[in-house]
Amino acid sequence: MTAPAIIPPRGLADRLTTLFWRHPRLLLSLLIAPPLLWLGVVYLGSLAALLLQSFYSIDEFSGLIVHEFTLKTYGELLRPSNADVILRTLGMAIAVTIASAFIAFPIAYFAARYAKGRWKAAFYLGIMLPLWSSYLVKVYAWKLILAKEGILTWATEATHTSWLLNAALSLPGVGGNSLSTSYIGTFLTFTYVWLPFMILPMQASLERVPNSMLEAAADLGATARQTFRTVVLPLAMPGIVAGSIFTFSLTLGDYIIPQIIGTSASFIGMAVYQLQGTAGNIPLAAAFAVVPIVIMLIYLSLAKRAGAFDAL
Amino acid sequence: MTSAVEFQAVSRHFGATKAVDAVDLTIAEGAFFAMLGPSGSGKTTCLRLISGFEKPTSGQIRIFGEDVSAVPPHLRHVNTVFQDYALFPHMNVRDNVAYGLMVKGMARTPRYAKAEDMLALVHLDGYGDRKPAQLSGGQRQRVALARALVNEPRVLLLDEPLGALDLKLREAMQDELKSLQKRLGITFVFVTHDQSEALSMADSLAVFNNGRIAQIGTPTDIYAHPKTRFVADFVGSSNVLPPALTQSLGGPTKWSSLRPEALHPAPFGPITGTVTALRYLGAGHRVTVTTQGQDIAAHLPSGTATPQVGSQMTLTFDPAALHVMDEA
Amino acid sequence: MRSEASLGLKIAAIAGLLFLHLPILLIFLYAFTTEERSFTFPPPGLTTEWFAVAWNRPDIWPPLYLSLQVAALSTVLALILGTLVAAAMAGTRFFGRDQVSLLIILPIALPGVITGISMRSAFSIMDIPFSTLTIVLGHATFCIVIVYNNAVARFRRLSGGILEASADLGANSFQTFRFVLLPNLGSALLAGGMLAFALSFDEVIVTTFTAGQQSTLPIWMLEELVRPRQRPVTNVVAMVVFIATFIPILIAYYLTRGGSETAGGGK
Repeated sequence: MTAPAIIPPRGLADRLTTLFWRHPRLLLSLLIAPPLLWLGVVYLGSLAALLLQSFYSIDEFSGLIVHEFTLKTYGELLRPSNADVILRTLGMAIAVTIASAFIAFPIAYFAARYAKGRWKAAFYLGIMLPLWSSYLVKVYAWKLILAKEGILTWATEATHTSWLLNAALSLPGVGGNSLSTSYIGTFLTFTYVWLPFMILPMQASLERVPNSMLEAAADLGATARQTFRTVVLPLAMPGIVAGSIFTFSLTLGDYIIPQIIGTSASFIGMAVYQLQGTAGNIPLAAAFAVVPIVIMLIYLSLAKRAGAFDAL
Repeated sequence: MTSAVEFQAVSRHFGATKAVDAVDLTIAEGAFFAMLGPSGSGKTTCLRLISGFEKPTSGQIRIFGEDVSAVPPHLRHVNTVFQDYALFPHMNVRDNVAYGLMVKGMARTPRYAKAEDMLALVHLDGYGDRKPAQLSGGQRQRVALARALVNEPRVLLLDEPLGALDLKLREAMQDELKSLQKRLGITFVFVTHDQSEALSMADSLAVFNNGRIAQIGTPTDIYAHPKTRFVADFVGSSNVLPPALTQSLGGPTKWSSLRPEALHPAPFGPITGTVTALRYLGAGHRVTVTTQGQDIAAHLPSGTATPQVGSQMTLTFDPAALHVMDEA
Repeated sequence: MRSEASLGLKIAAIAGLLFLHLPILLIFLYAFTTEERSFTFPPPGLTTEWFAVAWNRPDIWPPLYLSLQVAALSTVLALILGTLVAAAMAGTRFFGRDQVSLLIILPIALPGVITGISMRSAFSIMDIPFSTLTIVLGHATFCIVIVYNNAVARFRRLSGGILEASADLGANSFQTFRFVLLPNLGSALLAGGMLAFALSFDEVIVTTFTAGQQSTLPIWMLEELVRPRQRPVTNVVAMVVFIATFIPILIAYYLTRGGSETAGGGK
């Protein structure tokens, strides 16, 4: 008595499995349809709604939205007061990105190349916890630090370096009454909050540089500095670019940090929030919101060319 | 008697790549059948066509006479020992072995009893509670074997099952697989790129090249009478001689092959050339003699005097050993 | 050259880590200060009375419940959608695959304020009233990628081998899912769920646009930051919120530790 070579299907599950096997695309479609519908309808639909709003305008006398296609609202972005907001935000995003890259590199490099075993785990947690811990709490911590009566002022007095702080605060343009009401304060907080977003992709791409490659460079007579410049840095570049996507994008759209820490000057995120809320000018808010989208799309396409998506 | 597996003009193309191209193949019931070929020759794709993980682009596959074109892998009474074993890492050895019985609905007590029997068969009694990660490569391989055999498949497919094992273990497993197959009477289909493994274990084998079968036959037949240059070269490092040289050695103007073992040093002989390499093989030496721009390897059994590299050497052979190939 | 880092590198790395952690420790200190009106450092005295005051503040509890509810619902939705898309993306190559992966990361690659105002525009166009549901809609959208990142890494590691083995041994797709895929995916999904929960629990930017009159705990905190009423209570809540997000992150880390896909790589 031998068993049959083909087992007959025993029920619906077997029949469905057979169907999926004969038509693999069917299973794929069933899997991907719900998330695609969600993202397509909820997310892309919303983005479309935003885009639509940005082509409307507001009637200056009645304050009502005119539902007619116009580029007038985009024109308003070019007004000096609005253009200032955009340039200020861009400047901040660039400064924060560069600062993050500089602070992040030694951490990422050490974690990727030298930390082993327990230290490696400690470093990983040490980067991940600040990344995931509460955003508002982190901002709040900086409000405490930068306050005029706070720890930083106390520390400079204790070390007799108050003159340094005062010199920084008296700098034209970026200084202010206290750190918590100056651009320096805003910049410090942004850098702190987004720093982990820079470290992780940087570390990931550095970890992909094999040790043997560094040894090969040294073997071929490169000095440590040359190895770093000609081997490590180019290979770490995709990670740096990937990290900068986050620091750049997050700074461009944030409206809470400049609201809590800094001068009263507006940033793109704040403008969007205030225009759609108190001012009720949804078309202009929408047009403002399109600016970071356009900047980020350009940035992403450049980053893709630099191979940054493999490091995400 | 129906054949266990039958391919009729089976092709599997991936875009422009013809992984398997118009293959006809019959594997007899109860055979220990080997598919031999270099990587990318289509042998593994053929195995996956039998298990159902690939579907033919054209042609028909029959298993024990039944057309399986509409039958998914889980309904084919065929099991596989995967190359990397693919043991379930979250289950212990016993649950791994009993998995096939579990999904068919067998109760816990009888299926564990059968799993233990099967573990005893592969000499792993008492290993049931371990996790795959706690086993050595050889032990994992036995678990994979037990996990497949417990289902009493009509055909057992083995995808380079010994590839990851070291030499000693591989030889022991070869003998064990062979005797297991004899005892169980199950048709084994075995994929390998190692010609010595295929020759020593299979009672019938197919040599694959570029998605096609270059030759099919018994090991002795294929070793002694290769049909093409590829087979002669791939199966047991034969000297492949071009038509001109064949003719000068007294054959027709065709490609021929000559085994290194068939050549002996002699004072007079048809081949005289310069010794260009000498390799010690343990059980003798392999000497390379270059004549008319052609390297010819000869096997010198231990005890034979070894020549100096650079010296002249003359070789002779039994004319019957010169195998002329059909290929033009 | 692997053996020792230069002194300069060591100092820079450790200083960087301190820069990341010291500010958070400060929050813990301030939760115990006796000073009510300013952020004086060092605190003039230490007390635990603010914990009791915070506990008895009735305006803290509804936002907390709402945050927990929203985070739970968003996590469940993100788990389902994120796993589905990871399953589809891991196994097969298909036309439009790159576009799908872009669509998944877009909600976190673009600034939150854009997701927020986009959804608000959509809700107003379609006359959808603000509710818990509208908050969840926003949160689930950006949580999908968190689950996806965790799940897809694990899917890749499974690499088809054991799934094929299961089918080979006679299991149908549903049995393979239940007996092989789910047990191997479980910890990655749990980690992804934990992170999604932490992210949703803490989210403020999108929420301000989709919440209407309701407030979640982060919105309550934001209001306290902009218009402080009782600073020590905010200090206490900040500390509690920090700890509440800290725990799921730690769990997620320990669940996926040791793999190449350790959780949290992509927020």
